[in-house]
This record gives sequence, structure tokens and C-alpha cells, in this order.
Amino acid sequence: MRALIAAALAALIALPAAAEGEFSEGSQVTGWDNLAGRENATFTAKVVDIVCALTGDCPADCGAGLRQMGLIREADGKLVLVAKNRQAAFNGGGADLALYCGQTVAVDGLLVGNPELTDTKLYQIFLVKPEGAADWVKADHWTKAWAAKNPEVAGGEGPWFRRDPAVKAEIEAHGYLGLGLERDREFIEENF
Amino acid sequence: MRSVLAAAMAATGLALAAGGAGAAEGERVQVTGEVIDTWCYYSGVMGAPEAVVGTSHHTCALWCAAGGIPVGMLAEDGTVYMIVKWKGEAAVADNTLLTVQSHELTADGILHVRDGINYLFVEEVVADAGITNETHEDYFVVPGFAIPEPE
Repeated sequence: MRALIAAALAALIALPAAAEGEFSEGSQVTGWDNLAGRENATFTAKVVDIVCALTGDCPADCGAGLRQMGLIREADGKLVLVAKNRQAAFNGGGADLALYCGQTVAVDGLLVGNPELTDTKLYQIFLVKPEGAADWVKADHWTKAWAAKNPEVAGGEGPWFRRDPAVKAEIEAHGYLGLGLERDREFIEENF
Repeated sequence: MRSVLAAAMAATGLALAAGGAGAAEGERVQVTGEVIDTWCYYSGVMGAPEAVVGTSHHTCALWCAAGGIPVGMLAEDGTVYMIVKWKGEAAVADNTLLTVQSHELTADGILHVRDGINYLFVEEVVADAGITNETHEDYFVVPGFAIPEPE
């Protein structure tokens, strides 16, 4: 056992860390300049859901956008956690990537993460191109998927996050601060 | 010792390939920490890390969780655990975790470490202290429009 541990640790030391900007060449993503550790990254990868990648529990549709999603990068076999899509309204990347479950795709986006907090960056996906396809597809499917799941409020005014029934119910029950409606009322009276 | 070996193997890419061929056992753990929105915490998009936890960021954390952005647990030592399974259910990228957002929890579960990220399969919440991190007095609300102007 001791030899096995030593071998594993030796491999750990010998493995080169992914260099900053290693996957940046050819990326066409611009903007989002205020993100910590922002780094353009375009690469080829297999689309997986995270639970599948870790345990072998693999539904054919990757959970239809309800599981957290990842990309197994072809160049180094690393599992990259996808946290965001390109939309600017608190949207994750699951709905976009589940469309390509199990497929090999090219992706373009950003690796993001405050280096004081993490050595491993999360991925924000902007563009997807299935293997063999000519054109990139924008990773902005989330709001369409939300509207399909919430037809009773989809056509309303204002952004989705003000209309989402579950979010509204949570705020109506516990307030914007989460401390109860009375604490909310005091805070709002003092500050608004 | 097993966890050290598992972590080393995961970090070196010795963990088996994904997609069904690489089921790893993981390690049984108990984690105590605050449920957070990992995107705002790591990206700094809304401000400093201490401003995007607790009550100041609670509403934004609800939005991000409902948006499918990974929800995590931030332990006292600064370690972040990405919650990818909750009480046996892998469909967590929706409204599942709204009711515990910003809460301080102690959770039992299975930890998988792969390529630098801690993935937590929560099996049971053994303690829920509610929201204890009252950051709004220092940071107001983040973002500033989280609470709409009273009509």
C-alpha cells in the first residue's frame, strides 16, 4: 500500500498543471472582463453529467438539464465543471449542454475562478459546435427551457428571476434576506 | 489514508474515465458549512467573496440556484464542496436547494474528488442552523437591485 501511495504521489508531482491560457488560442469570446481569473478557453470535449462521470449512473439524456454538467476535455482527460452559460441573468449551463449529452463537441467560453480561492477554474460556456457541424451554436438555451417549464408565468413582464414561482414562494415565506418578513420590513424601512 | 490515496489518484488523472466506465467509490464524509452560490463566490462578478455569502447575497443565491448554477457548501476552512446529489436525487440544477440556500448545514454524504473539485453527494442533513451569516449590515444587498424599490 505504501508503494502504491508513493507512486500516486510521484505521479501527482510529475503531472504538469494546465498552463494559464493553454486553451485560449482561437477563442472568440469577448466581454465579461470583470471576472476573476478570466481566461479564454476553447477545446474539444465529451459532454457528461457530473454524477455520471463520477459514479457511472448515466441516464441517456444526462438528466435533461437538471443534473450538473461537465466536459471531459479531450486534450488531457480532465473533467471541467460547467457553471454558467453566456446569458447574464443567473443562468447555468446545464440546459445548453444536456442537448449534446454523450456527444463530442467543440466548446468556446471562459475559465473563471479567483486564484486566491481556488486552483481549479469553473467553465462558462458561450458556444457549442457538435462534431462534424459547420456552425457554432450560442449557449443561450436556458431561458427557453425555463419558459417551457413555466408556461403560466413565461409571458409575464420583467426578468425570469422575478417571476419564477419557486423563487417567489421562498422570498414570500422567508424574505429577501432569508431572515423572515419582519427583518425584511425593518431593513427596507431603514434603507429604502 | 484511503482518502489521501483517492485524492492523489484523482488529482493525477488516475481516476477512471467517465461516462459509465469509471465508477469511483468516493469517501464517506460529514461536512459543516454554509450553502453558497459558487459562481458569484469564485468569479467575483458581484463583488468580494465575503459580500456574496450570507444574507446580503441570499436573494441572488436563490436566483442562481434556480438558474441551475452549482450550489456548494463553504466549510469554515475555506473548502468548497459542490453539491451534485441531494438526498439521493441527482436532479439538483433546479429549485431543489432553494429551501436551504444560505443555511449553515451539517451534512453526511459521499465525497468524490476529481481534477481539483470536491463533489459532494449529500445523503442526509443532520443539522440545519438556518441562516446565521448576517452580512447585510456590512454589505447591504448584493446585487443592489436584489430587493426591488418599494412601490
